[in-house]
Amino acid sequence: MIDPRAPRFAAWITTAVLAVVLLTHSAALLTLQAAVFALGAYGRNPYALLWKRLPHSPPTDLEAAEPVRFAQGVGLAFAVLGVVGLLTWTPLGLLATAAALAAAFLNAAFGFCLGCVIYLLFRRTVGAHA
Amino acid sequence: MRADRAARATYRFPSGVRRPASGVRRPASAGGGRREAGGREAGGEGGKAERELGVRPYVLVLIAVLVATTLVGLLWRSQQGRVRPATGDVDLLAELGEQPGERATLLQFSSAFCAPCRATRRVLGDIAAVTPGVRHVEVDAEQHLGLVRRLNVLKTPTTLVLDANQSITDRAAGLPRKEHVLAALDRAVR
Repeated sequence: MIDPRAPRFAAWITTAVLAVVLLTHSAALLTLQAAVFALGAYGRNPYALLWKRLPHSPPTDLEAAEPVRFAQGVGLAFAVLGVVGLLTWTPLGLLATAAALAAAFLNAAFGFCLGCVIYLLFRRTVGAHA
Repeated sequence: MRADRAARATYRFPSGVRRPASGVRRPASAGGGRREAGGREAGGEGGKAERELGVRPYVLVLIAVLVATTLVGLLWRSQQGRVRPATGDVDLLAELGEQPGERATLLQFSSAFCAPCRATRRVLGDIAAVTPGVRHVEVDAEQHLGLVRRLNVLKTPTTLVLDANQSITDRAAGLPRKEHVLAALDRAVR
């Protein structure tokens, strides 16, 4: 179980980074963000770790880590697609970046974790047959 | 000196021999050459965008993405926890093996990995604790999939407000606001 404020803070930084990628078409920066997502998929997102180091009040609520980590994996997939796109066919790179940006912004500003919802739907479909 | 330079400038190499890359040519085409080189360097950097269209269209794309996402987010948020009047006369609580409240029941469908479910549990639990005759019942949606389908429960948490006859008088998907639940209870108890 994790403090839900950490992934939301991470989502704000992710939003900023992806916005810069969208403006500069930097495959290098997007690759760095992909690395962040990869770490996040293992529960070690550097942005979240940064938040944990900052002073904050004790958590009032906890959420499960698995859906959040899955969501980071979804972000990784889009980032990898984006890097491939930026290196080969720019419109694909921008589309993937814009999609990841939308999801990150939705998470940061509204607390809505799209990847988490996908994970839960997946679990329900697979779980029902298990 | 000047004579030498002039001589070099007009000297014609025999055909087939490549001219030296420096000296003779540069003065004549100085301005144009430098401009070209400069343009190429700027274009290579990371500035494919600059060379083709400029950064401004991508600022517009960014703004469009943020605005569209904001609209989606606001729409989603407006759908959360809205308490809607609903009817139905399924004998719910008996099916679930739960005791009804004397005057009303707050039936909450939850699931695992659901942060709003915990928050909803707090809200409904607080209300039930201070309101006589009202009971808060929480069930795991995944344990009662048939019921979930019949009641068209699409997400968790979903709260059903039941009156004394176990008829559904209101329902809310997502985290409900306390005042909305209290208003719904007023309607259920009447």
